Amino acid sequence: MKVFIDLMWYFKMEWRRYLTGILLLAIVSFCLQVPPKIVGFTVDHINKGTLSKQLLVTYISVLAALALLMYVLRFFWRVMIYGSSTKLALLLRNRLYDHFTNMSPKFYQKRRIGDLMAHSTNDLQAIEMTAGEGILTLVDSLLLGGMTLITMFATISWKLTLISLLPMPMMAWLTSKYGSMLHQQFHKAQEAFSMMNDKVQESISGVRVIKAFGQEEEDVDEFKELSKDVVRKNVKVAKIDALFDPTIFIIVGLSFFLSVAFGSYFVVQGELSIGQVVSFTTYLGLLIWPMLAFGWLFNIVERGRASYDRVSALLKVDESIKEDETGLKIVPSGSIRFQLEHFSYDQTAQSTLENICFELEKGKTLGIVGKTGSGKTTLCKLLLREFEVKNGQIYLDEKDINRFALHSLREAIGYVPQDHFLFSATILENIAFGKYNASFKEIKAAAKAAAIHADIVQFKDGYETMVGERGVTLSGGQKQRISIARALLLDREILILDDSLSAVDARTEERIVENLKEKRKGKTTIITAHRLSSIDHADLIIVLDNGKIIQMGTHETLINEDGWYKDTYNRQALESLISQGG
Amino acid sequence: MDELQKMKQWQVFKRLLRLMKPHKKTLILAFSILIVATVADLLGPIIIKKFIDDYLTPRHFYTRAITALALMYIVLTMISAAMHYLQVVLFQKTALEIIQTLRIDVFSKVHSLGLKFFDRTPVGGLISRITNDTEAIKDLYVSVLSTFVQNMVFLIGVFAAMFYLNVNLGLFCLVIIPMIAAVMWLYRRYSSRSFFNMREKLSELNAKLNESLQGMAIIQAFNQQKRLKKEFANINQAHNAAWMKNIKYNGLLLRPAVDLIYMFALIMVLSFFGIQSFSNPVEIGVLYAFVNYIERFFEPINTMTQRLSMFQQAIIAAGRVFQLLDETELAPGTKGEGKPEITEGKIEFKNVTFSYDGKQDVLKNISFTANPGETVALVGHTGSGKSSITNLLMRFYDFTQGEIFIDSVPIQNYTNEELRRKMGLVLQDPFIFACDIKKNIRLHNHLITDDEVKEAAAFVQADSFIEELPGGYDHELGERGSTFSSGQRQLLSFARTIVCNPKILILDEATANIDTQTEEAIQTALGKMRAGRTTIAIAHRLSTIQDADQILVLHKGEIVERGTHQELLLKKGLYHKMYLLQHGNEQTADVG
Repeated sequence: MKVFIDLMWYFKMEWRRYLTGILLLAIVSFCLQVPPKIVGFTVDHINKGTLSKQLLVTYISVLAALALLMYVLRFFWRVMIYGSSTKLALLLRNRLYDHFTNMSPKFYQKRRIGDLMAHSTNDLQAIEMTAGEGILTLVDSLLLGGMTLITMFATISWKLTLISLLPMPMMAWLTSKYGSMLHQQFHKAQEAFSMMNDKVQESISGVRVIKAFGQEEEDVDEFKELSKDVVRKNVKVAKIDALFDPTIFIIVGLSFFLSVAFGSYFVVQGELSIGQVVSFTTYLGLLIWPMLAFGWLFNIVERGRASYDRVSALLKVDESIKEDETGLKIVPSGSIRFQLEHFSYDQTAQSTLENICFELEKGKTLGIVGKTGSGKTTLCKLLLREFEVKNGQIYLDEKDINRFALHSLREAIGYVPQDHFLFSATILENIAFGKYNASFKEIKAAAKAAAIHADIVQFKDGYETMVGERGVTLSGGQKQRISIARALLLDREILILDDSLSAVDARTEERIVENLKEKRKGKTTIITAHRLSSIDHADLIIVLDNGKIIQMGTHETLINEDGWYKDTYNRQALESLISQGG
Repeated sequence: MDELQKMKQWQVFKRLLRLMKPHKKTLILAFSILIVATVADLLGPIIIKKFIDDYLTPRHFYTRAITALALMYIVLTMISAAMHYLQVVLFQKTALEIIQTLRIDVFSKVHSLGLKFFDRTPVGGLISRITNDTEAIKDLYVSVLSTFVQNMVFLIGVFAAMFYLNVNLGLFCLVIIPMIAAVMWLYRRYSSRSFFNMREKLSELNAKLNESLQGMAIIQAFNQQKRLKKEFANINQAHNAAWMKNIKYNGLLLRPAVDLIYMFALIMVLSFFGIQSFSNPVEIGVLYAFVNYIERFFEPINTMTQRLSMFQQAIIAAGRVFQLLDETELAPGTKGEGKPEITEGKIEFKNVTFSYDGKQDVLKNISFTANPGETVALVGHTGSGKSSITNLLMRFYDFTQGEIFIDSVPIQNYTNEELRRKMGLVLQDPFIFACDIKKNIRLHNHLITDDEVKEAAAFVQADSFIEELPGGYDHELGERGSTFSSGQRQLLSFARTIVCNPKILILDEATANIDTQTEEAIQTALGKMRAGRTTIAIAHRLSTIQDADQILVLHKGEIVERGTHQELLLKKGLYHKMYLLQHGNEQTADVG
């Protein structure tokens, strides 16, 4: 029940709605005490022959009024209590989202998106359940159970109440026992299911091997065994699960039997009337739900607590890039100076970058080449301040980049990442992602510069074409070019293209490079690439290997110098010859 | 459109019902037990009625008769409980068995499909067809169908009992049925619609969240946090509004409405007996029994209404599963009479043209012959068609133009079993299963003895590293064999091929970086494997195929050069350039 204390801040915040809801619930519980009484009275009057028309009309009217009242109240407590619980989910969901947008890439490196999603969906659901169904179950079972017991005790017979309730603890005990048995078996059934799931996954991923060795039938046989196991374990679950209803049935039946038997005895003794016994059995019916509710409540609260702990822990994680309050609110210009001693993603590992020192004037183009994993992307990310540099400095506009407010720094940079991620929206919205109020003319110009305009107008819906699962499937090259257009539209001081031309063919690459030269006149551009043809026009070329600069210069100087650049240049020339068929 | 959808759903539902056919006997048994249980259950109030009217009200206390009634009540309760238990277990077990059969059918179906199907179907979707979707269908049988049957029987029983006790009042009570039907209709119309609306908003919300998490780096780099937060908050709000609407509909139409009808029924019963008491004497026991029946009448209705939404989900899942079961993209089958066997291993391609999608030819007019025991190497740029040739040879795909002969018999005439037994394929990506070494080598073939497994491992020189593992040949491998180096995985897959002793070897050489020591082992193993077998090898490193009897150079689906290593080098064509590329410029002199 600790989770209710943890959630107290919310209950306090929404105390009016919760209190109203609980009050309404209390009135409903009270109203529920009346019909059995009226049934009892009617029975007694009929039995004695004293029932008058007037009395009957009164009884009926009271019942009718109660019925309508309860209908209205039941509707409203739902709105109050469930309404509050959904609002809690809304609140927490927005909080999580805000939190996610503040987290640095480091945060995302450590966690899987699937897990973060699970926290935001399943865990929130469990918390919502606790704040709604949980509160309801707790309050309702206490109120209804309590009031019913009091009514039976006080207005009918305390002796009969005690006698007929004798079997009830047995029910509570048995159902909780079944509950833990079920829990165990259920766990086993889940395990069997996930074994089967793994098997399916493996078979489908390895379908070529299975086909190559002609082992389809044998594989099906193995699957049969596993699916049989799933059935076997689920039947065990079913066998326990099926115990609940009959047990409740027997125990309630016993209570009924006791109340009728002893009730009749008291009738004969003259302590009770027949009508009272009849209404007593009806009250007994009202007690079943509160008896069962506690097991149910325990379940909800257990899940809710675990989920709330996970979500709060997640919200407490502080892995944002620290921003200096006094950070410069001006957007830096595009002169870059790196004086990096070394950098690594985590302290223990070996450096990802080491001794990176170079200078690039505003308006120049920098080319970075090297093997996969040589540190090209890391270098770009440091400039974006996705990670903190501890040893060394990076200067923009002759000022340490840490001195700029993060927002201002990023205002200076247009970025085309290596993994060309597009959102499920129209092509237009994707290009305008960073400048949502851009005119269509601007957008078209950016698309043309990225050599994607011609592709876009070929789609049926042109710029309004949806991207992603529900829309067209774009080729890797098309995605790359859209993401180049997205960055070009911003016309920032610095443009970073991180291996963004890898999926376009040589001719398109040439066109884009030409457009870049034109469009980026006077502004700084950084291009990382595998293909040297993407960067051979650069004012400065850096060759990275294992995080270190091994060569530096222009295309002309590097091509005449023995080393990686020259070798690669020759190899790539030969490669392009081969891919054209010699 | 909507009508069509409904028609389709109805078809799916009928097909789901047909799946129950093989279990007819069990189901009839379960149904009979259910009836016994229900009758025993419903007799309880009648016994109490008898006690009240015959003994309690007139104060006639015949101990024997009363004891008999009491005993009867207890015995009936026990019987009812036991029968209920049995019936539930039987229904559940049957449902689970139906699902098992369905699962096996889907799984077998998937294995009977051609690789063409796998090329265009994402793995994730297929897996959830077999597991999650069938699980949703299970809910239909377990939670929906069986509950509906049980509750309907109970409700009919209640009415039967009411008619038995008092025909007139029973008739009156029939009014409840149209009322409940009306509530259910309203629920289906409004509440379930708003429920789906809410689900839709929820999946929109989750999609947005998921996408934002994936694209967070972009959002931050473009300074768009504020805009995205607002967008998310809007969707969140819309979802909440839809949820609230659903809560309100449920509040109006579910439990509160059913409880209202209950109160109405109670009023009806009391009025009936009240009015009757003005003219005739009333049996209190009958009144008691009616009140009791009515009280219990409504819980099943609540359950049934709530489970309606599950029904819809199960039908949608079933629709997807059936679609997969009806898939027609089967693996290529055998044509022609007789069961030819591969004895020599001679391979001939004659003017083979092939396309995966029917539009673009990936192989154009390919002809070549590999005589028994010869090695033919295929080289070429990525996408030149090398793998397509091996795919056709393994008969993973059907081709339409030209012919392929093995031992001068068209490849289509061989059964798949014969082809797979005599041809050993070594794949570029050696897929490792999560089981022990032995099983990874022999796979499911139990005719292969442990000794043969060890022999094969020794033959490809994998024995030394296997024996060093904890447990040796019984060592359990992790998922995809991730603890092994790619070279070790390669050797394992060699052993897997060689243990079957194929006549023809098809090698798709690995491109991955392999350390020199393992590389040597691999080369020796390959050499040994090729001896005496017709081999078609896809080579990425030209050094490994210099001794091939014939090298085919492919470009854009055509054979542009053919000959031995020396012949091709002298031609100074594409092969020569590729050779230069791999061996660097320093060796140019030797070649020239």
